[in-house]
Amino acid sequence: MELLILNGLANGLIVGGIYALVGVSLTLLYGVLRVVNFAHGEFVIAGSFFAFVLFSTLKIPPLLAVPLAAVAFFAAGWLLYYVLIPRLARSDDPELMSFLMFYGVSIAAAALMLLLFEADSRSIDFTFTPISVQIGPIYISTARLVALAITIVISIALALFLFRTLPGKALRAAIMNPEAIQIMGVDIVRLSAFAFALASSLAGVTGVLVALVFPAFNPFSGAEYTIIAFIVVVLGGLGNPVGALLAGVVFGLAEQMATVFLPQALAQIVGFVILVGTIFLRPSGLLGTRFRR
Amino acid sequence: MATNDHDGPPVLALDRVDVAYHGDIRILRGLSLEVRPSLITGIIGPNGAGKSTALRALYGLLKPVAGDVLIDGRAVTGLPPWKFIEHGIALVPQQRSLFNELSVEDNLRLACWSFRRDRRRIEEALERAYAQFPMLRDKRRDLAGSMSGGQQRFLELGRALALRPRVLLLDEPTAMIAPRVSADIYDFIAGLPAQGITVLLVDQNVRQCVRIAQHLYVLELGQNKVDGSAHAFQEDSGLRDLIAEWVDYRIDT
Repeated sequence: MELLILNGLANGLIVGGIYALVGVSLTLLYGVLRVVNFAHGEFVIAGSFFAFVLFSTLKIPPLLAVPLAAVAFFAAGWLLYYVLIPRLARSDDPELMSFLMFYGVSIAAAALMLLLFEADSRSIDFTFTPISVQIGPIYISTARLVALAITIVISIALALFLFRTLPGKALRAAIMNPEAIQIMGVDIVRLSAFAFALASSLAGVTGVLVALVFPAFNPFSGAEYTIIAFIVVVLGGLGNPVGALLAGVVFGLAEQMATVFLPQALAQIVGFVILVGTIFLRPSGLLGTRFRR
Repeated sequence: MATNDHDGPPVLALDRVDVAYHGDIRILRGLSLEVRPSLITGIIGPNGAGKSTALRALYGLLKPVAGDVLIDGRAVTGLPPWKFIEHGIALVPQQRSLFNELSVEDNLRLACWSFRRDRRRIEEALERAYAQFPMLRDKRRDLAGSMSGGQQRFLELGRALALRPRVLLLDEPTAMIAPRVSADIYDFIAGLPAQGITVLLVDQNVRQCVRIAQHLYVLELGQNKVDGSAHAFQEDSGLRDLIAEWVDYRIDT
């Protein structure tokens, strides 16, 4: 039993790290642009396929795919912003239109991946040596440990960016008060494009890590990650990046521990129980907000 | 102060501007106003007259459906709000414009965005804000949202003035502020033209606005009602009555 619990904790941290990254990128995007990206999960899975293609055609290992995905998805996000968002501004009801548009993007992205990669589940054949590492009494796969390490590095880098640099503070400021940031002389269009690109970049990198941590992925896996991202975003408080990081880990741990104590089918609904519970008990998220606007 | 200063072209103007919400509800109808250099220009009028809307249209936060926004006599209609600071025009809006979960100093630093790589200019701007309101220096590491309403207002003013703007637009600077602090704020604003800063003041507090402004615009239902020197307003009994009417109205509500 103790072994199971330790395993659950370790896997909870690893999976939670992935959830944290999925959530933090969606919450940044929502915070700055006030749009909900329903296609976020598809962006993540596109990152998995990105790593898959790099490895199966060019033998580029997943570790190297991480920085490549970061750059490629940043560029794609920047482009996509200018294709999608200016069209929203011309609508009478941009908020409602954004829901429809991103739902459409989600369907289109999944269909495109289906065309390119077919419906079969894929995995990357890359193996680390040694294949697993013993930590105390438990064994953890090296791939998962590597993914955890990358997650931690990215989270720290993101936190340093958001809390220690002026552009990072501008991004947070835009979340706190979107009108005031414009009065400061900040070009909100460019800042929003940057936020979209950053969120896409994080989603792509998370996708590479998904390919390392989970056994397989297919073009339909995206919806799963979109839902996880929603749960994490609500749990962490809308537009709260630190909350999302924390919430991702809490959710990952809860889910993995649930599989230790509960039957498989029941464990799967833990996420939704947490989501509903949060909305009822702490609608502003785990950390809440210190000040009202 | 040279008199021809006041006769120069308006630093900022609206020319027959219409602003509409939701397509066809006109909030401003053919509104024109001019902000003359080195003066305090006041905009007064009853609730819903379009005072704040006029200010937001001037600063690019609302796009006119007709008419023009002019800076130094040149039409700049459609200029986005983040470009105004480059023209030396700063705004302190009616709603809180602080970033509550950033420190006082970070709030000031963000105002330096347009020259964020120029360390010396940033230090100068910070010093200017701290010299103007020494309280801000003591609180520079505190979160902006933790300060009192009056202190937050001073931070907004200090932040806007740190960049040495030539024009400062103020929307209801003393709304929700304690009366004693309020008086300090009006005295402070009254002293700005002597520092070479032109002021446009939108206010519900008619008494104070008439006291410190040199030129007044009265709006009603999104249109110009009358305008003239503050002097003329104090002497014309008809206008005095008009103003008294609003003051009573304000007290009743």
